[in-house]
Amino acid sequence: MSDLVRILPLLMQGAAVTLLLLACSLAVGFVLGIPIGVLHVFGPGPVRWGLRGFDLVMRGFPAIVLLFLIYFGLGGIQGVHLSSLQAAVLALGLRSAAYQGQLVRGTIGMVEQGQLEAARALGMSLPTALRSVVLPQALRHALPSLGNEYSIVLKDTALAFTVGVLEMMSRAQFLAMSTRKITLVYIAVAVIYWGLTQAGLLGFHAIERGVRVPGMGTGDNP
Amino acid sequence: MSDWLALVPKLLDGWVMTLRLLGVAIPLGLVVGVAVALARIYGPFPLRAIAAVYQSVLRGIPLIVQLFVLYYVLPRANLLLSPFIAATVGFGLCSGAYHSEYIRSAISSIPRGQMDAARALGMSRSQAVRTVILPQAFRRAVPGCGNELVYLVKYSSLAYLVTLVDLTGAGRLAASASFRFFETFLVVGLIYLLMVACVEAALHVLQRRWKRSGVGVGA
Repeated sequence: MSDLVRILPLLMQGAAVTLLLLACSLAVGFVLGIPIGVLHVFGPGPVRWGLRGFDLVMRGFPAIVLLFLIYFGLGGIQGVHLSSLQAAVLALGLRSAAYQGQLVRGTIGMVEQGQLEAARALGMSLPTALRSVVLPQALRHALPSLGNEYSIVLKDTALAFTVGVLEMMSRAQFLAMSTRKITLVYIAVAVIYWGLTQAGLLGFHAIERGVRVPGMGTGDNP
Repeated sequence: MSDWLALVPKLLDGWVMTLRLLGVAIPLGLVVGVAVALARIYGPFPLRAIAAVYQSVLRGIPLIVQLFVLYYVLPRANLLLSPFIAATVGFGLCSGAYHSEYIRSAISSIPRGQMDAARALGMSRSQAVRTVILPQAFRRAVPGCGNELVYLVKYSSLAYLVTLVDLTGAGRLAASASFRFFETFLVVGLIYLLMVACVEAALHVLQRRWKRSGVGVGA
């Protein structure tokens, strides 16, 4: 018990960095994912082709290879200065952007074609119609999968220690070596990650309930 | 370009190691996945609960933590696993948890009437599951399980963190020796991409060959 009291504060400091990394990566993924999803559907040919290439790399390379590619590869180029945390946010954020872009693209397809046509017929421009008619519906459809994306990115942050980010796993490794309480440390880490996953999923369920619109969603739409 | 191709031989041994890991982990994951799914649907209460906890825990904890537990914590309980065994067991158990969720939802999507009809024809429960339910459920689970296989190919790169020199490990060594990090990891990534493409092509073939008129494959 006293061992646990000794290791928990350090693990919690790590957990704070883990959450920071998670929040930044998800935010980068969300902010870039929406335009990427829209451009997948409505972009001109060359842009769509470019996105296909981006997608292939971001979704086809292992997370750890992306981390190395950006931290050691990009960071090694003359004049580029990337801290561990910046490199990790860039790698996990761009990767999440590719996945979230695919999500948005898929859920735009779930919104009936007639919705866009009706909005255009009312005189809305394409961007306005997307912003005020299509995306509000598409993003609600995407919410359950975004909850999944949260838990995937959370688990991927545990790889950031390989490029030197001082998140929970790196604290755990340090504690495991310095205190020799290997079992206790890794069980504690496992419990914390599990708790964060469950808490996040509950949070996303709450958001889903909060933004629910009567008459739209489960059952009525394809 | 020729420099890039010169990298490939240096990565070859690591690539072979990755393929060996996947050769063990993929079948193991599928077997675990089917077993856990069956336990969750048809098992008696305690087994159902254990299967549900298994799914929640293995899907809620990063794979790297699971590997560290297998490789660093188990020796404390006098259970020493070689890096290869720790990695393949870790991949198989974790992948199985994800497979089981896809297979479980595929089984639950089979109309109840199928089981009732099979029982009415005089089949035992296990016979009905084996010859009526599972063949249909597997077909419906292909897209989900296929996704999981693609993830497993990529996450096999974590074997490098339990000291195995797999494709990622070989890339790390080659990059540190030549100081050409960007090119090396790009080539490593492209090899993973190639493996992912192969898995996707194989799944396409499987889906076509498993197609039966009237049974939705990937519907």
